[in-house]
Parts: sequence; C-alpha cells; structure tokens
Amino acid sequence: MTQVSAAVQAIFARRRDELGRRVKALEETVPALLQGQLDESLRARAERDAHKLAGSLGMFGLPRGSELAREIEEVLGVPDGPAPSAAPRLAELVLALRGQLEDAPVGSQDHLPAGPPLPDGRTLLLVSADPVLTERLSHEALGRGLRPRGAASPAAARHLAALDPPDVAVLDLTFSEADRDGLELLVDLVGSRPPVPVIVLTSSEALVDRVEVSRRGASGFIHRSRPASHVVEAVRETVERRDRGQAKVLAVDDDPAISDALAVMLAPVGLEVSTLNDPRRFWECLEEIAPDLVVLDLEMPGLDGIDLCRAVRADVRFGQLPVLFLTARTDAGSVKRIFEAGADDYVSKPVVGPELVTRIENRLDRVRLYRQLAETDSLTGVASRRKSSAALEDLIAMADRYGQPLSIALIDLDHFKRLNDQLGHAAGDAALRRIGAMLAGAFRGEDVVGRWGGEEFLVGMYGMGRDDGIQRVAELLESFRTEQFSGRDGRSARLSFSAGVAEFPRDGPDLHDLCRAADEAMYRAKANGRDRVLAAGSPRSSSPEQPDVVVVEDDAALASVLVESLQTRGHRTRWLDDGPKAVAALAGADPDLSADLILLDVDLPGLSGLSVLRRLAADGVLSRSRVIMLTARAGETDVLAALELGAIDHVAKPFSVPVLMQKVRRALSR
Amino acid sequence: MRKHILLVDDDDDIREVAGISLEAVGGWQVSSASSGIEAIAKAIAERPDAILLDVMMPGIDGPTTFKRLQRDPATRDIPVILLTAKAQSGDRQCFETLGVAGLLTKPFDPMALSDQVMAILATAARAKYGS
Repeated sequence: MTQVSAAVQAIFARRRDELGRRVKALEETVPALLQGQLDESLRARAERDAHKLAGSLGMFGLPRGSELAREIEEVLGVPDGPAPSAAPRLAELVLALRGQLEDAPVGSQDHLPAGPPLPDGRTLLLVSADPVLTERLSHEALGRGLRPRGAASPAAARHLAALDPPDVAVLDLTFSEADRDGLELLVDLVGSRPPVPVIVLTSSEALVDRVEVSRRGASGFIHRSRPASHVVEAVRETVERRDRGQAKVLAVDDDPAISDALAVMLAPVGLEVSTLNDPRRFWECLEEIAPDLVVLDLEMPGLDGIDLCRAVRADVRFGQLPVLFLTARTDAGSVKRIFEAGADDYVSKPVVGPELVTRIENRLDRVRLYRQLAETDSLTGVASRRKSSAALEDLIAMADRYGQPLSIALIDLDHFKRLNDQLGHAAGDAALRRIGAMLAGAFRGEDVVGRWGGEEFLVGMYGMGRDDGIQRVAELLESFRTEQFSGRDGRSARLSFSAGVAEFPRDGPDLHDLCRAADEAMYRAKANGRDRVLAAGSPRSSSPEQPDVVVVEDDAALASVLVESLQTRGHRTRWLDDGPKAVAALAGADPDLSADLILLDVDLPGLSGLSVLRRLAADGVLSRSRVIMLTARAGETDVLAALELGAIDHVAKPFSVPVLMQKVRRALSR
Repeated sequence: MRKHILLVDDDDDIREVAGISLEAVGGWQVSSASSGIEAIAKAIAERPDAILLDVMMPGIDGPTTFKRLQRDPATRDIPVILLTAKAQSGDRQCFETLGVAGLLTKPFDPMALSDQVMAILATAARAKYGS
C-alpha cells in the first residue's frame, strides 16, 4: 500500500511544474478580468485548467487545493463570464491555491522538467557559505544551460564578478550581523553597469527582511527550503524579463519622498524608474529618457500635472504615451480635469504599492497589445496573414537549409456562410474564434498558424511530411466536428472543415506554389463531399469511382469508426460486412471493386477472413491490392497464415485507431 | 482470471494515478483510453468487465461515449462508472437517469478508489440480477 502512495508522490513530483503552469494560467485571468479583457478563449482555457486541478490535486494529497480550484472554476464558469468585480475574489483564490501547491512537501526533488532554455550560456553567480546548496544549484543551473560560478563569501564573489561579470546572481543571506557584507554586495551588484539582477535566498520569514532586500533592489526573495529547480526557474524568468527590456517609467513629483518611494515600489517588478522633482525640466527629461510611461503629480508648483499632460498629448512624438496621475484629491471635479487633460488613469494618494504596480502594468500591457495588434488577427488570436506568411518564408528557408520536411495545410470551414445566415454572425464569429484557439493549441513551437482570409487558415508544420501532416490535421478535424455553435434563437449547429496539405519541396519550391498546391487539394476535398483532409498532387487511384480502401469487418460499430477515420484522412472507402460479400465484390476475373488497400477481419460470418484472403490470392487480386489483417487477440497462427498467404501487415485487436491509420499510411505509400 | 477495467480520462495524471491504484490495490487488469473515440474502439475490442469514464473530455464527452456504448450490443452490458469533478446534486441526478452503474467524484483517494469501484459494481449487479 505504501508502494502506491510512493508511486503517487513520485507522479506528483514529476508533474508539479505542469500543475504550477496551470495555476499560473489562472493567475493571468486576474489582470485580464480587471481590465475587462478576459476574452472567451482565455476564460475557457482557465476554466478547464481549474477543472483539471480540482479533479487531480486532492488525489495528490491536497484536498484544500481541489476545493480552491473548484471555487475558481465556479467563478470563471458563471453564465456570460465573470464580472470585473469578481477579480479580487479570484485573485484571493488563486493566491491561496498557489500557496497550497508551493507548501506541498516535495517527495523527490531531484529532477523536474526544465523550462525553455535561455539562449547561450548566461553566467550565474552563486554566493553562499553552504557548499551543499551551491552544489545543488550549480547542478540544476547547468541542466538549464546557465554557467554557474560559486563563491563562498561576498569577498570571493566580488573577485569573481570582476573577472567574469555575471548576468544574474543568487545571494544566500542569513540576516545575521555577519551579513552586512552580503547586503552591500547586493547593492553593488544591482548598482553596477549594466545592473545585475539578484535573487535573495534566505531562511528568514520576517517581513522586515523582505522589505530590506527589496529596498536594496533585489529582484526576488525565495525561501531556502525551496527545491533547486524552483530557484533556477526564478533565475531563468528574471533573465528573460531583463532580456525583454525593462520598461522605463518617468515619475514627476515635486516631493522627493514620493518619487523615491515610487522607484522602490516599481524596481522589483522590473520597471526602471527615473524621478524628476522639478517639472520645468520635464521636456528635457522626456527626450533624454524616452520613457514607456509617465507618472505625474496633479498639484505641483509652477507647471502642474494637467499642463504637462496637455502638452504631452499635443506632441506628435509623445502623443500616444500612457500618462498616469497621482492625486490626493479624488473629488469629481479633479477627476474630470484629469481625464479632460487626456490622462489614461489616476491613482489616489497615499499610494498603495500593489495598486500602482497593477495600474502601470495594465497601461504597459495595453501599449504592447497595440503593437501586437498589427501582427495578430483580432478575432481569432492567431497570426495575421502578413505575419504568418513572413514566418512561413522563414520556415521554408530553414527546411531547405537543414534538409527537413515541411508541410503546409490550408483549412477552410465548410458551409460557413450557411452558419452565418442561419444562426447569425455571432455564431460565425464564435466558430472562427474556436477554430483559431484549437489551431493555436494543437500546433506550437516551430509551427506557424495564421488566418489566411475569411474562414480560411494556414498552418505550417516544420519537420513533418505530407502524410504526417494529414494525420495531424485530420485529428484536429475529428475534434472540431464535435464542437457545437449556438445562434440567437437557441438553435445550434456543428461545423466541419476541408483541408489540403502540401509538402515542401515536392509540391512546390516556394510559398506561392505550395499554397497553390494546398489550395487545389482543399478544393478537391470540398468537391468530394467536404469534411476531409486531402493531399496535394494527383489522387492515388486511377479511377475516381473506385475506393482506395475497402474495410471488410462484421462489427458495425468498429467498422463505422474505421470508415469515418479513413474518410477524414481523404480516403475513398467502402465497407463490406461479411466474407461472401467480400469475395463477390473483390475476387474473380473482373471484380466490381478494385482497391489499393483491404482491411480484412479474421473472424467473419459466412466465410472466414483467411478463406477470403485465400480466394483473393488465387485470383491474383494481391498483385494490385495490399491487405492488412485485423486479427483477434491470441491468433498467432492466424497471423502467420495470413502473412504466408500474402497479407503485408496485421493489427491485433484491440488496436488503437491512430496506430492502424499509421499502418494504412505506410501500406499505401509503399 | 483478473477482472479487466477500462480507464477513460483525457488527463494524464488521472489515468496514471488511477491506473496504479486499481492495479496495485485492487488487483485489476487496467487498460486506458484518453478520448471517447478511443474508449469506444477499445471497449469493442477488449470487452472489459467495467469502464471508469471521465465526464468532461474534449471531443466526445463521457455521457455521449456512454450513450454510444449503450447503442452497441457488444458493449451494452458493460457497467460504466462515471468519474466527475463536479458533483452538485443536479449533475448526480442527470447522470443517474442515464443508466450508469454509478458515479465517483474527483479528486479521489488513490487508496480507496478500488474499493469504491468494487462497491458500486456489486450494488449495480445486485440491482440487475437480484441478490
């Protein structure tokens, strides 16, 4: 029994990062909800994540975690989505949930899956008097492509930093008297040019210590008992954040106490704050610093914030700059003046750190969002045509250079106009959003997903040949079919799509020709009854009336699953449900049916599969048709007999449909 | 012969933990499927003694899978236990009218899962054949 608990704990240790990612996805809904920008796909995904967490955390010994996740699921799942007013409650639940996960005892902490590696070896300076800790962190850091350098004391660290300037540092502090040196080292590293982000490790729980280190500019504060992988992940995120470029904030306040306080509050979240106490130097500073956001005090001697804001808005270069006001006065008149001057937002004094940070980040996110808009299709969230064709050109060049296969799929929703006409445009938009989200979910990494036009999408699959590409798109089609879209009057409908898949370079040497080949195949899919995925190039069978795959199987349920799966993958398929029918249709001198491939069940009523195969062999059918036998569990003799008679392969029941489809693909490409 | 159970859930964690628990604690022979379609194909091919079926899955969900299993003479008599993360009383009623053998809620206790499954199957068998 303890064996079971140990096995479950081992699974938990292995899956912990993944569970953490789900919690992180939930965290992301909070700011989106606050801004009223929690779109349906984000909400639905988060609801699913919460649902999964609710279903699994208790099983790992975290019953409270399951309860919290279920409450989150309820908040996210209310009809029409949660209101922005639900954000604080959601934030509270998510925080508590994260606490549950972080506080869970770690069974085996040696190896957790690594996050994306950082580009080339960044130097990590590890400062700790504890050699075991340094060892553990070094080991983990090496695994993530960092170059760890250990120092046993602040003095040794200074020496190392001078020789080999680090990109990031982890500093182990005990907060005893002896740590004066450590704190000074922190200040020096953060203040060096370029600044080195520092993560502080400590066993102290005291809030004063936390404040102390963040005042000195630390980027993070982690408890020493956390697993090495957790610390190194924080290092990775810190470096990544720095790589993205710090956002610059210019804070203008005549009270130095306030502008300094702003700098202290905003530095830990990666914002670089420049302060200005004399508003008359505002323009000079604006040009010099070129900030991403300006914080203005409402009332200052001389030029007040309102004047500065009006001037910014009137300027061609800085007109779009986000402006946030700090004000002690929140009466209707003052607020009206603030917005009339063109401000984006205001925060009332006394300033509360987290509120200010949230509002600033919201504004900066908005700016980033506008930049992305040109590259992203606003309805579906996938790349625009312009952006995706550029990415595809890159992919083709890469495939060419490294001799890798590359396939593109052109996907067009079936009867989309009819859906719009019958159920209304809202249902049509929902369908486009859904397929966009499914594509984005199914293809990732090096793949490219773009909206090509109206209801048409293009996918580029790197490292994947045409047949594998068809398989992947067909699986997507199988799940898209089950989606339901509802219209105004409560009526609902299901949708399908038709797709064509072309491979570089055999179907075309460049994007233009590949698209044309995929487009031609897509139209052929439409002509053949839609709801299927076809390969570019000439059809396999010479005669269009003939099937390419015949299924001989008496079990109707299994046969229907097979026929549907085959048709989805572009095969023309016929089903025969017993032995005599199979012989009548397939054998003889001039048979009715001539297929490239026959899937033949062993146990058939009337005449056994082996007898059918014997007849086919005798009549010379096997010279033009290949046969895969579907055999029963313990039928080794059947298998041997079938292969002897000329079947090229066999699949033992129970089989998985994807495995059989792979065998079909292999058989047809021989 | 060992009893055979088919475990259907799209969540890898659940399949893995439930599989270990049913095998090690209950001595079941366990096979698993990650989608409704795969479940139907496996149920037809393997004829398990029982099916533990997740309610909320992408694609064909649990109740739809169950209805399809019911339509097929080959799988009609296999007792199905639904596994759900939501157990409001409304859900419970709705699932029970479907005609499933029973309902288990997630998260489950890995040590107790096998006994719960056995108990549900025993009750369902008594209801069907009389005690």
